[in-house]
Amino acid sequence: MSEELRFEEAQRELESIVERLERGEATLEESIGLWERGEDLYRLCLSRLDAAQGRIEELVRRADAAKPEK
Amino acid sequence: MKVEALEYGDRKVYAVGAFNRGVAGWIQRLPTVWVEGEVTELRRQLAWQSVFFTLKDPAEGACLGVSMPRGQFDALRLDLLDGERVHVYGRPELWEARGDFRLRALSIERFGLGEHLAALERLKRKLAAEGLFDPARKRPLPLLPRRIGLVTGNDAAAKQDVLTTIVARFPPARVVVAETYVQGPRAAGAIVAVLQELAGLPELDVVVLARGGGSFEDLLAFSEERLVRAVAECPVPVVSAVGHEQDTPLCDLAADARASTPTAAGRLVVPDVVELIARLDRARAGIARGVHRRVEHHGLRLSHAHGRLRRAPALLLERRRAGLEHAAARLRALSPQGTLDRGYAIVRSGDRVVREAGRLAPGETVDVRVASGSFGARVQETRP
Repeated sequence: MSEELRFEEAQRELESIVERLERGEATLEESIGLWERGEDLYRLCLSRLDAAQGRIEELVRRADAAKPEK
Repeated sequence: MKVEALEYGDRKVYAVGAFNRGVAGWIQRLPTVWVEGEVTELRRQLAWQSVFFTLKDPAEGACLGVSMPRGQFDALRLDLLDGERVHVYGRPELWEARGDFRLRALSIERFGLGEHLAALERLKRKLAAEGLFDPARKRPLPLLPRRIGLVTGNDAAAKQDVLTTIVARFPPARVVVAETYVQGPRAAGAIVAVLQELAGLPELDVVVLARGGGSFEDLLAFSEERLVRAVAECPVPVVSAVGHEQDTPLCDLAADARASTPTAAGRLVVPDVVELIARLDRARAGIARGVHRRVEHHGLRLSHAHGRLRRAPALLLERRRAGLEHAAARLRALSPQGTLDRGYAIVRSGDRVVREAGRLAPGETVDVRVASGSFGARVQETRP
């Protein structure tokens, strides 16, 4: 799985996989591959979100520390 | 008397005496009339047969010589003074010896109250028609006059009232006091001269005309046309404080402001310094409050915007997470995970799912996917 993939691309791909699976057009072999790919994409997106959340929290903490005394 | 001309060719020429006689003859035919004016230059000497004075039109300044036999004049017991207003009943005449035109008086009457009132009313209507009393002409008084002109009588209580009030309210005020006649026939002319003099002073911003109460006649000068006009034309605003509340001399109407008393005039021309300072303090406090409110308002807006800024990324993350979880839920609904959880496994050879054991040969490697993870396996035997 490419780590270069951006969150939005990963999410779009995940959604298109879900749509293909829901339409029931894929063969069993394909659908298992798609499912595995989907799960991988889900984990990638989740880790990106967690990382973003961590960064935001860190920035807020730093901003609060830099705020002048009222 | 016959008037004869000399002949020079076809030119008729009169000797001076003959000319005067001729004109005098014509003038004598004019009717006897009443003439109104102010008495000036009254000359009465025991050696003279007649008394002489000049009758002056106070509005236009036109002059007319008047003569009256001394005996008749004395019999009237008028004790006329220069500047008094009179009606003279007389006949126009030319004094032949001098060629002087004059009015030979038969009777003289001092201007009475009725005449004064009628004249006043006439003048009032005339000046009103000219727009002299128009409210639009009135100028606002200065808030803080640099110099104040005060026209008043020389020992008048009015003067003291104005000065006391001005100094009490605004100690640094600068007042130029111009003392003058404030009643009698010379008053109007004197006041006009003083007004013009004051108006020419540098930094003079307002003039107060003050005179205490008096009889109707005492206040007449303040209704004379030249004085009323001088007040209206004064280049700086004029406050009129003449007489008592019930008196309305015409200068009151022409002035920019009218004060019922000299004290009221003092209050009109300067602000009360204590009150002024209080007003400034209130204004300053108001400015400070205003600025504080602005700062507070902007502070609130800023903190509101900041709060939204803070929440924005988390909100975005939440939305993304919700979208992701939704996609994941859909993915799971379709996945074989449930089946795998129950203990089934998927066996794949290459990318094909193994459905028949007979398709495999011993020694072949396959990929086995279970509920959690997968592993590679080697086929030992097949049992189709």
